[in-house]
Formats: sequence, structure tokens, C-alpha cells
Amino acid sequence: MANVDRVKRQLLRDLVQENVDLVEGRLPRTLRKGRYWPLAVRLLAVAVLSVALLGSSRLIALWLIPQQTEPPHAATARSPRVPAKVAAVSLPETPLLTSAPQPVDAAVFPLAVHTVVIDAGHGGGSTGTRTPQGTLEKDLTLDIAQRLQRLLVQQSFQVVMTRDADRDVSLKERGALANRIGADIFVSIHLNWIENRRSGGLETYYMGPTDDPYLTRLAASENRESGYSLADMRRLLDRIYAGVRQEKSRKLAETVQGALFQSLGKLSPEIQSRGVKTAPFIVLLTTDMPAILAEVSSLSNEEEARLLTKPLYRQYIAEALAKGIRAYAGGAEETTPEAVAAARNTAARKESR
Amino acid sequence: MSEKKEVLHVGIDLGTSRSSISASNGQRHVIESYVGWPLDMVAKRVLKKPVLIGREALENRSMLDLHRPLEEGLIKDGSEKDEAAVRELLRHLLGLVGVDPDNRNGMPVRAVVGVPAEALRVNKQQVRKALQNAVDNLLIVSEPFAVAYGIEALLHTMIIDSGAGTTDFCVMNGRLPTEEDQRTLPQAGDFIDEALMRLIRGRYPEAKFSIHMVREWKEAGSFVGPPKNPVVVTAPVNGKPTQLDISQEMRQACESILPPMVESMLDLLSRVQPEFQEKVRNNIVLSGGTGLIRGLGPRLEAELQVVGGGKVRVVKDPIFVGSDGGLAIAIDAPDSDWERLSA
Ligand SMILES: Nc1ncnc2c1ncn2[C@@H]1O[C@H](COP(=O)(O)OP(=O)(O)OP(=O)(O)O)[C@@H](O)[C@H]1O
Ligand SMILES: [Mg+2]
Ligand SMILES: [Zn+2]
Repeated sequence: MANVDRVKRQLLRDLVQENVDLVEGRLPRTLRKGRYWPLAVRLLAVAVLSVALLGSSRLIALWLIPQQTEPPHAATARSPRVPAKVAAVSLPETPLLTSAPQPVDAAVFPLAVHTVVIDAGHGGGSTGTRTPQGTLEKDLTLDIAQRLQRLLVQQSFQVVMTRDADRDVSLKERGALANRIGADIFVSIHLNWIENRRSGGLETYYMGPTDDPYLTRLAASENRESGYSLADMRRLLDRIYAGVRQEKSRKLAETVQGALFQSLGKLSPEIQSRGVKTAPFIVLLTTDMPAILAEVSSLSNEEEARLLTKPLYRQYIAEALAKGIRAYAGGAEETTPEAVAAARNTAARKESR
Repeated sequence: MSEKKEVLHVGIDLGTSRSSISASNGQRHVIESYVGWPLDMVAKRVLKKPVLIGREALENRSMLDLHRPLEEGLIKDGSEKDEAAVRELLRHLLGLVGVDPDNRNGMPVRAVVGVPAEALRVNKQQVRKALQNAVDNLLIVSEPFAVAYGIEALLHTMIIDSGAGTTDFCVMNGRLPTEEDQRTLPQAGDFIDEALMRLIRGRYPEAKFSIHMVREWKEAGSFVGPPKNPVVVTAPVNGKPTQLDISQEMRQACESILPPMVESMLDLLSRVQPEFQEKVRNNIVLSGGTGLIRGLGPRLEAELQVVGGGKVRVVKDPIFVGSDGGLAIAIDAPDSDWERLSA
């Protein structure tokens, strides 16, 4: 069985490498997509990045840290970097890539999108929807937001949370925060409540008008604690324009919705994609960057509500969101076009009923 | 490999409901994955221990702050208690095979720890942190990979490891499984227990029983497909021990995990390179405690008919397959590799 032994040796080598990567804070190769990029592409990527990030302190880190230009096998074997032992012991509390002097892998470094604002829906007095068992939307959105935060930070995004605890933050403040720090994208996390519809499911919104009475109701309920007067609202509504931002928001919404559906569909085959839609949510109106609001599951659906009590399911949601954001950021096709198409189609079919 | 210096190798399977350890000194142990700390001074005095593990913890749960730290197969992050509980579990397991994690003057210890297939980096780092200083070298592997390695099902196979918290799928194609080769479902043993509990409640609202009883009933009488013998259990109804027929409920609860399982199995298969699909279909291994449900293997096999048929082999004694696989990895990994992996 020489063959088996050869396979085993190869597997063990890869396994050890994966663990070394983990210790040294790199994304394990099994999670990376493109495998090894040619040197020229890498250099180009660094150049593009530097332009995109001019002025950022991260840029300095990027230039100073030698880019990995060989397969990690060879690279780590004779890497002048900290030996594994030291790295393992000196791991920070949260072993994340943000702590400055760690290697940044250009292949996973997002292009164009640097800062992500994650908005955990509701909080404090605003509980959002709730299940008969008492599970509150505000708690679930915060948990999912925090999971997403961890994932994105690991992938070298700068992440800012609109809230990090169970507290009241007005919708106005949420948007203002994102504008103030110059975020590149804004992702608001909510859970749906679909009356008289046992169907449940996922949907993602970007800013825009709607004449669907259901959406008007939903927007009204999500906008309740907005802190804006009616006059303000009108003015804000005027900002709905079919510009670049809306187009980008639509793209972000489609990518995220596709990733959510692709991933959660595996967990719960009955889950439905309700598609990508526009609605005048305040948080989407007030932000200056591409912004979406994802209803990542429905608390009104018994099965989804039950799944939401499970950490693994929430982790899945966070991972799908991260995947969608990463795909949008890289302009990459990480979410297959089929998934995006499927997400669109199921929604279209529903709408036409 | 004869000139290997004296080293203790161990393989550990951290499970939602059970955790096991296999060591190169021949010791093998399994414990229930419970950790409990005395709730107050009185409890501490009565129990005479700072922390209780396994069955002992479960039996004294009224006096304990009881944790099952790997629910869902993930360390429930956010909770330091669960992290501490994982540390206690691991240290306890090491103690059972003769390693004193606080006094590391003895033989060097090299440990391979299996974690759920989709455990994230955060979790792997937590396991790493939990074992810091307790062992000398540490390798973390995905649990289905450890199982595959242990039974040498490394090429063109699919491992389905259905435990308590999760059902893990993993296609082995001779390389380290990537994200695309693996799936994790939250539908597993605990899911069935909850479903069964609800169903029995619905039919016998007066009967009194706990989730632990339900689990025991399930382990004794689980099945999918047409019933062979009626499943009858005893539980107090209005204070009187009463026989309850739960055959229908048992079947329904056990079958509730079938749709997502079949879906994931077929979906993963469809992603295998076409020339290897038939091989993989004929090399499916069902392991884990929930894999023991009567009729589950044949049922999955029947579902393969739509794609041209296949074979599902059930691991009959699943308790140590994961930790034995970990031990095999530990022994096979060359010294030079181990040296790169200080804990
Ligand atoms: N004969 C049986 N029929 C049905 N279920 C069983 C049987 N025997 C054990 N189980 C169930 O198997 C589960 C335990 O399996 P296992 O030890 O593989 O899980 P684990 O490794 O602790 O969990 P996980 O792998 O999800 O972390 C429990 O839910 C238990 O009730
Ligand atoms: Mg297991
Ligand atoms: Zn909401």
C-alpha cells in the first residue's frame, strides 16, 4: 500500500502547514481561493492597494512586510519571521490580523473596500421582533454582528460597529457614524417578521422607493426610532437617486443575498430566498456609501426561529455575510453566478404570483 | 521509526456529548463532555473539588454551574466559562492517560485534537490557547479528517460523522479537505432529542419525563423506515408509572434529520470531479453515535439510487474512531513537523 503511505505523507505535510499558518495568523490555505498568485500580480495588487489606501497606516505595514511570493511551504520553512514557538506564546487575546506587525496576505486583502460598518439592528429599548418563546431580534442581530466582526477583522477589514452592546442607538446616529468615519460599505443586520406568511426566508434591501404595501409597513416598523422629523424624511427621500452609489448598493445586496441563500440553503433546504429589493429604510438613506439591510432569516418562521437559537446557525449567517462582503470587495466570483441568479429567480417567481 | 525518542502521543476527540482520548501508552478513555463548578461554598465543601467533569458533573448538577462547552460543535464564544470548561475537559482527559498538565517534567506530550469540520479559526485558536503549557506540541485537525485517517479512508471517500451537536460531511480526495469538501449541519442527536421530546409531549401531555430520559429512550429504540417492533417506554402519568407507545414519534423524530442529510450528501457528491463520483458513492462511511440509528445507513444508501446507487458503511463502534485517528496522525507525523508546532 505504498500509495496510501504517499497520500498520508502528503496529507500530514499539508496538515502541519495549515497549523503553522494558523499559529502565525495567516489564513489557512484550505480557506484561500486563488492559491498562489504570480509575483507580478502580487506586486500589482500591492501597488493598487497603496493607491487605494493612501494615507492609511496599514499601507506602511504593507510596504514594510515582505510579501509572500512563494508557496507557504517553502516560505515558512526558512522564514525570518518569528519562530512558531514565540508566535504561539505571544498570540494576542484575540489573535487577529489587525495587530500591526503581522503579515498581511495580499491575496486576501480586500481591494477598494477597507472599512465596513456593521449595524446590529435595534438594541436597548428597541427590541425589534420577537418569537413567542421570547427570542428577541436585538439580541440575535448583535450576536450575528459580533460574529461577522470577528470574521471580517481576521480577513484584514477595518470594522466599526454601530453598537457593541444592548443599548439604544438612533437610526440617525448609525448612518452619521458611518459617514463620519468614511466607511466604504454599510451592512445592517435584521431579522424578518412576515405576517401571515409561514414561508419565512431571507431578503436583502438596498435604498430605493417602493410601492409594495408590505414593504412600506416593514420600512415603517424598522424606521420607528429614526430620530427624524417628517420634513427630514422628505428631504432624505429626495436623496434616492439612481447614481453610482445605488448601483453599487444593488451589487452588494445581490452578492450578499446570493451568499446567504447559497449557504443557509444547505442548512435548511426549505429556506427561501425572497430576493433583493429596494425600500426606503432610514439607515440606507442617510449613509453616503453603498449600504444594504439584510433580513438574514425570519423569526416568524418556526423552523428558522428555532435554528436561530443555535450558535452554529448564527455562525453560518455571519460567514455567509462575510463571504458576500469579501466577494463584493474583491469583485471576485466567490459566490457563484448561479447562486446570485437563483436568489434573483426565486424572488421573481414569488413576486409574479 | 525505531529510533524515535520517548514521547507520549495522544489523539483527542472533543465532542458535544462525549469526548475521548487514545494514547500511545495503550490507554483509552471516554467521558461525557460536562464540566461543572460548585455553585457556592457549601457545594464546594460537599463536593470537595474545585471542578467536576463528565458523569460525576452530570450527577451532581443541582450543586453545579454546569457547562457542556461544545454545544453545536463550537466553543460557544463570548463565554469565558465555556473556554475554561474546554480547558478543564482537555486537562482531565490528559490526566486519565497519565499526563499531569501542571507538572510537565515527564515525557514530552504531542497531542492531536479533533475539532468540528467547520470550526473556525477563532475556535481553533481557543483550543490552542486551552492547551497551552498542558502539552508540548499540538496539532489541530478537523474531526471527520481524523476519522478518515484512522480508518484509512483517505481517497475518494465521504465521511458522514453524525454526533450529538452536528452532522459533519467530508469528502476525502487525497488532499486536505477544503471548505468546499465539507459541510456541517446542526441536525444531529440533540436535534432528534428535542424533536422527540416535543412529539411525545404533544401526544401524552400528562406524562412526566426529562430530556435525559428521552435521550436514553432514543438510544435504545431509534429507527428510520418501517417499524419492526413497537417502541414502548415507561414514564409517570399522574404519578403512576405508565407504558407509552412512542413508535410513531420515534420514527418521525429520527427521520426529521433525513432531508437535510440527504440534501447535503447529494450536493457534496455532485461537486466531486465526475470521474471519481462513482468511487465516492461506493465509499461512504457513516460514523458517530447518531449514525447508529437503525436503518439510517440503508436509507442513505437507498437515497443514492437517484444518482446511480452506492454503498454506505456504518462504523459499528464509533466511540474511539476519532481519537484513534488522531493518535494515528500523531504517531505518523515526522519529528521535524512536530517541532514546528510547539504548543
Ligand atoms: N443507538 C443510537 N441511536 C441513536 N442515537 C444514538 C445512539 N447511540 C448514541 N446516539 C446519540 O449519538 C450522539 C452522540 O454521538 P457522538 O459521541 O458521536 O457525538 P459527539 O462526538 O459527542 O458530538 P459531536 O460530534 O456533534 O460533537 C448522542 O446524541 C446520542 O444520543
Ligand atoms: Mg463527534
Ligand atoms: Zn429589524
